[in-house]
Amino acid sequence: MILNISNIQHFSTGDGAGIRTTVFFKGCNLRCPWCHNPENLSAAPSVLHYKNLDKTEIMGKRVTVDEILPELLEDKDFFDQSSGGVTLSGGEVMLQADSAAELAIALRSCGVGVLIDTAGCVPYSEFEKLNAVVQGYLFDFKTADAKKYKEIGGDLELVSENIKKLKNEKLELHIRIPLIPGFNTDLGSLEAICRHLEKTGIKEVELLPFHRLGSGKYEAMVLEYKYAKLPPMKADELERIAQLFGTKGFSVKKEG
Amino acid sequence: MELFKALNNEICEETSGTYAPYYFRCLGYRRDFAAKPSVLRANGIYALFTETEPVILKSELIAGNKKSLYTDAPHEILEYSEKTVKKFGERSFITNKDHYAPNYSHILSVGIPGLIGEIEASMEVHKDDSEKLDTLLSMKHSILGFKLMIENYKNAALSSKNDPSYTAERLELIINNCEAITKGKPQSFSQALQLIWFCHLAFLMEGRYAMALGRLDQYLYPFYKNDIEKGLITDKEVTELLENVFIKLQGDVVNICIGGQNKNGECEVNPLSLCILKAVGNCNVPGPNLSLRLTKNTPDEFLDECLKTIGTGLGYPALMNDDVNLAALKRYGYEDEDLYDYCMVGCIENFITGKQPPWSDGRFDTPRYFDYIFNNGVSKTNKSCGIDMGDVEKLGSMADFMSAFEEQLKFGVAEYVARFNASNCAINQKFFPEPFLSCFCDDCIGRGLDINNGGSKYPSVHGAAIMGIGTTADSLAAIEKVIFNDKAATLTQLKDALNANFEGFEELRERLLEAPKYGNNDEFVDKYAVWFIDYLAGLFDKYKTRDGGGIYVAAAANVSNIYAGRIINATPDGRKRGEPLSDAASPTYGRDVKGPTSTVNSVTKPDYTKVACGSVVNQKFSPAMFSDNNRPKLLGLIRTYFKKGGQEMQINATSREILKKAMEEPQNYRNLVVRVSGFSAFYVTLEREVQLDILNRTQQE
Repeated sequence: MILNISNIQHFSTGDGAGIRTTVFFKGCNLRCPWCHNPENLSAAPSVLHYKNLDKTEIMGKRVTVDEILPELLEDKDFFDQSSGGVTLSGGEVMLQADSAAELAIALRSCGVGVLIDTAGCVPYSEFEKLNAVVQGYLFDFKTADAKKYKEIGGDLELVSENIKKLKNEKLELHIRIPLIPGFNTDLGSLEAICRHLEKTGIKEVELLPFHRLGSGKYEAMVLEYKYAKLPPMKADELERIAQLFGTKGFSVKKEG
Repeated sequence: MELFKALNNEICEETSGTYAPYYFRCLGYRRDFAAKPSVLRANGIYALFTETEPVILKSELIAGNKKSLYTDAPHEILEYSEKTVKKFGERSFITNKDHYAPNYSHILSVGIPGLIGEIEASMEVHKDDSEKLDTLLSMKHSILGFKLMIENYKNAALSSKNDPSYTAERLELIINNCEAITKGKPQSFSQALQLIWFCHLAFLMEGRYAMALGRLDQYLYPFYKNDIEKGLITDKEVTELLENVFIKLQGDVVNICIGGQNKNGECEVNPLSLCILKAVGNCNVPGPNLSLRLTKNTPDEFLDECLKTIGTGLGYPALMNDDVNLAALKRYGYEDEDLYDYCMVGCIENFITGKQPPWSDGRFDTPRYFDYIFNNGVSKTNKSCGIDMGDVEKLGSMADFMSAFEEQLKFGVAEYVARFNASNCAINQKFFPEPFLSCFCDDCIGRGLDINNGGSKYPSVHGAAIMGIGTTADSLAAIEKVIFNDKAATLTQLKDALNANFEGFEELRERLLEAPKYGNNDEFVDKYAVWFIDYLAGLFDKYKTRDGGGIYVAAAANVSNIYAGRIINATPDGRKRGEPLSDAASPTYGRDVKGPTSTVNSVTKPDYTKVACGSVVNQKFSPAMFSDNNRPKLLGLIRTYFKKGGQEMQINATSREILKKAMEEPQNYRNLVVRVSGFSAFYVTLEREVQLDILNRTQQE
């Protein structure tokens, strides 16, 4: 089976416990305007041209599991030492659930655990292809506002259902909330998220503060980035939001 | 304000008069210009220690500083003194002057009177050997001078009591400690530290540099433990005393070693190790060069504390793989008891504490030897010669090329060692005795011999710093790929390209740059790094120092790779003439682009148990890597690195300066990575505004 990926990143941080190698999948069914990986939105190869380096990069290649397995196993000693493993991210991995499952099986048979980083807007049947072979999920929850979810191409109801079902599986489930000013960081939005997650039975959240590190990629792809001028979230703002979640009874992990 | 900061201000205050160590030494020489060398030197040291006037600083808990070396004597006398002393000459780095780790545990256990007693006992044993008697007499004279210096400090503190701007409690501590350590063995932690500091200060007054404090957490531990158990001192007070010493080490490279294991494999980290780490971290100045002998069973909690200190931007402690170092040193036949007590001098050089003459090292510019293959044995860029091998085109295969390179290196190593030995032996050893230093080296006193003349238990060793593992491996891989595999150019074309510094050969240079590079876990090139260590260590191993010690190799550079690069022609890896060589044991900067795990996978392939001097792998991480969430990952990286046989890692938090430089010269910082969840990017690909975001977040010293 073929995997459509953009790149493999060794020693990724913030993509699960321990030292991890992350495989970025191409193609996404959402269009979040703050996205930091615009090269992974389209399933077709993306061309990035960095002017200051005079470097052109084509992101996107179709590979087999056998082709990338050796590189993913290169860091096995580090995974074992640090309880790390491989994270599949994107783009939306779940759009390639069959090939992701094949990769996860291959890695598992070599003793390497796999985490999936997903926005979760796919039918649960796609998760069922992976549940038996992965450690768990880094599951993005972006808003409790159904209309807003729709605006970015998602479906609140589908996401909520998937979370509920995954909660019943014996898998790691890390609910991660990207904190995007103007989208979900006002008090009302945050409280709504808390209420919604509470109903879903979630007790732990990870907060991912907004950053604009991806803006260089937009420029390299000659795309407009609506968040280019928005400064990264300040530490005290993040702390304030973390405290809000804390007072609502969540255990909170902040990135960084 | 912390006491060490106040002390720093006092140290930095201008001192009246002129800094004049020559003047004081000359006062001693003048006592008897015609004296035998041992007497002359001892007279010089005695005057240096006793004619100087101690200055007690108000923030000192541990007395002793170099302000005593200032004088108001007229400049005519100063000039005369300098000229005179220089005429008599002295040792230098290459003739075993400094970069030495004294046997401090011995003087702590017997005290100054005990040491004098040992010298006297040895004089009795050697009473019929006039030469040895002279040597011992000069040792005794210098130690008596040292003792008098401490008494003078006590008297200076006593007379400061009349000055109300001094703190009585501090003066009392200094007075009592000076009194105690001149009369007997040190009895407390602060007395032990005071004695060690006076020894170190004495070496500084003698003009020595990079004198190591060695395994401070081991030899001071009995005093620490005793005081703590009796409730006489707290960790906070211990740390403050240490800060009081460390702040005075600025401007020098004073290696302090913590941790390590004993011969049963038990980790020797103790609570004092942590105090030392904290004190170095608090002072946050270059000078105290902290090294951790990291073992498999060094607690994770302690390693994590080290990472926190590193993350402040200080970069210390350097992490040393104790198992690899022990295996490397074992090859030289040191007895276990001495072997397990090794420490580092200078930056990273492994040293048998207090049992061998002072260190020396030099630079072996490996990539220079390409030039001789291509250019008939002559380098046009640095006027040096190798072997004339005729037309380079005769080398029809990679194997041919390797044999040619090996021939050049054989020649080069023979030349290097001959030159070193010539400089090292250029002085008459007997004319340059080191009576004071010899008292801190086993078994000079017992043997009645000088440290550099048969007194030390082990012979002198020398370190040859083999430059450019990355440049060399990358060059060989590029030749194999571009010339012999792809046949994209001939060796003659490569020669022309190198001699033209690639001008007019841009396309060929691109191809050379595209060949596999060291540091990305690619066997095609990594095999040459393995060869590099094996082959060069093997060549140097054939030679000995003047007194039969080993010639170690080092894969360390400090900044020598920059100087070496300046005089070396363009190299086949695509490096242009004059550019720096790869640094230490690291891949060429900016070419290891697959992240730290791949770097580790590559750099752990060579066998570092053949690198007895030590190696350095520099790794830079953004400050975010030192957060509570990320430190465990860094810890996992280090543990794996050491498990795989890495020898040393020097970790630095990326400073604002580096980030600024990367904005100006993106080409040179291609591997600087910013990592956050589900995202990572090379810093140089970020937009200017975003780079500034990160720059502004990086708030450190």
